[in-house]
Amino acid sequence: MTTDDRVVIDFDQHSPDYREAYPEISHEIRNQCPAAWSERYGGYWIISGRDLIGEMAKHPDLLSNDHDPLGVRQGYGGVAIPSPVGGTNRGGFLEMDPPEQLEYRHVLNPFLSPAAVERWRPMVRDLTRACLDEVIESGHIDFVDDMANVVPAVLTMGLLGLPLVDWVIYCEPAHAMVYTPPHSPEFSRVLEGAIRMGAHLSEAMVTARTRPRPGMIRALIEAQNSGAAFSDDDIQGTLVLLIGGGFDTTTSLTAHALDWLDRHPAQRGPLASDAALLDTATEEFVRFATPAQGGGRTITRDCEIAGHQFRSGERVWMSYALANHDRDAFDDPDEIVLDRFPNRHAAFGLGVHRCIGSNLARMTFKTMLGEVLARVPEYRCQEGGAVRYEDIGTINGYKHLPADFPAGEREGPPLSDVIAQWQHTLDSAEPAT
Amino acid sequence: MRVKVDPDVCQGHTLCNLAAPHVFLLREDDGHAYVAAAEVPPDQEDLVRKAVATCPEGAISIDEAGEAGA
Ligand code: SF4
Repeated sequence: MTTDDRVVIDFDQHSPDYREAYPEISHEIRNQCPAAWSERYGGYWIISGRDLIGEMAKHPDLLSNDHDPLGVRQGYGGVAIPSPVGGTNRGGFLEMDPPEQLEYRHVLNPFLSPAAVERWRPMVRDLTRACLDEVIESGHIDFVDDMANVVPAVLTMGLLGLPLVDWVIYCEPAHAMVYTPPHSPEFSRVLEGAIRMGAHLSEAMVTARTRPRPGMIRALIEAQNSGAAFSDDDIQGTLVLLIGGGFDTTTSLTAHALDWLDRHPAQRGPLASDAALLDTATEEFVRFATPAQGGGRTITRDCEIAGHQFRSGERVWMSYALANHDRDAFDDPDEIVLDRFPNRHAAFGLGVHRCIGSNLARMTFKTMLGEVLARVPEYRCQEGGAVRYEDIGTINGYKHLPADFPAGEREGPPLSDVIAQWQHTLDSAEPAT
Repeated sequence: MRVKVDPDVCQGHTLCNLAAPHVFLLREDDGHAYVAAAEVPPDQEDLVRKAVATCPEGAISIDEAGEAGA
């Protein structure tokens, strides 16, 4: 390899330094180069410019998402940097390229369009109210454990077509997998949970073949039966992807917003009463926090994009997180401006891999936030109680966000009853698609 | 003013619909955008400019002098 003039920086999105320095670190990195090179993890590009990342996302032929741990194709490393060691499976359609990737999205899109998502709103509202009811008499809540982990998890079960009560099987492992570093002592326990989750999913796929409930699992299996080249492993990878995407990101977004509103209590009233402000604020919270921080790619051939040279096989970190704080694209990017609009943030990704669940995430987030502001508008987060993920490089999330509020009265039945009622409703109708 | 959404570039971010809900409609099946009519009513023109500026993919193009020719 000949030497070239790439700008080499000391960067690792998984490091504690990054966690402390984000988002301000964005400017320092971009000032050096919107496409800079880090020597970590075998070397990779960090893309931090909003325009550059948009341009690159338009070239899925040059930037591959493929993950090929067994080396049967090009051996590419997929969307995680570093690539996971020892795995044999790719992460569903996020680790595929078009046209294969598009076939999966085609099957799943109808469940996640704005219109389809709207049909789940009443369930999300009831679940959120029930979560708040569970704690309202105590005057204490952990917004993560008691609400923001629960609602998206139950909802995801519904979309997949799994029994709603199964959310408990998936919830802990799905979150812990994201925030537990591989070298930590808890990792083996987390891995066991993940293996249990995998086994449960395989069983669910078997059940879905014989006694299918309406939902995404049934749709994927029907597509497979009618000729789509979906392997069982890839369907399972897709389900893990949907669970990961469905659980952790919306949880993080909600925690970020509630934490910020703790420090800006005067903004709560306007947000609670102004639907248009809630719309723009949602985009702004997503931009600011960028719950899913970025995605890895592999360069498929030597090429030049927007004046930057890339070589075949090089790894690239598309940092939506850094691009979302680009001063050339956003005025005062490190401020949360609730009515910021236009807001061409990249937090749901860009190009053909745009987050398939963005409409669901928005609806769930707005509903949870709205209910919190209605039921416990005077909440105060406990001083020093918030626990963020040790490693925010994949998901910029919170493990805990405890808060206090003046105790109130229950308004509805316990959460378990609400889940059972909704199960009954889903079983007697076919709401989403 | 005339407006169009390039269906090959649009990825269904739906922000155009947030900016100008009467001009940009979202398809039932995948949430991607299409225009209600290529000709933009005068009272919607500013909203459409906002939509152009907020579309994360740059999928929307306008022709300011649309009425006269194009
Ligand atoms: S904002 Fe852009 S990408 Fe999103 S739906 Fe509208 S035209 Fe499509």
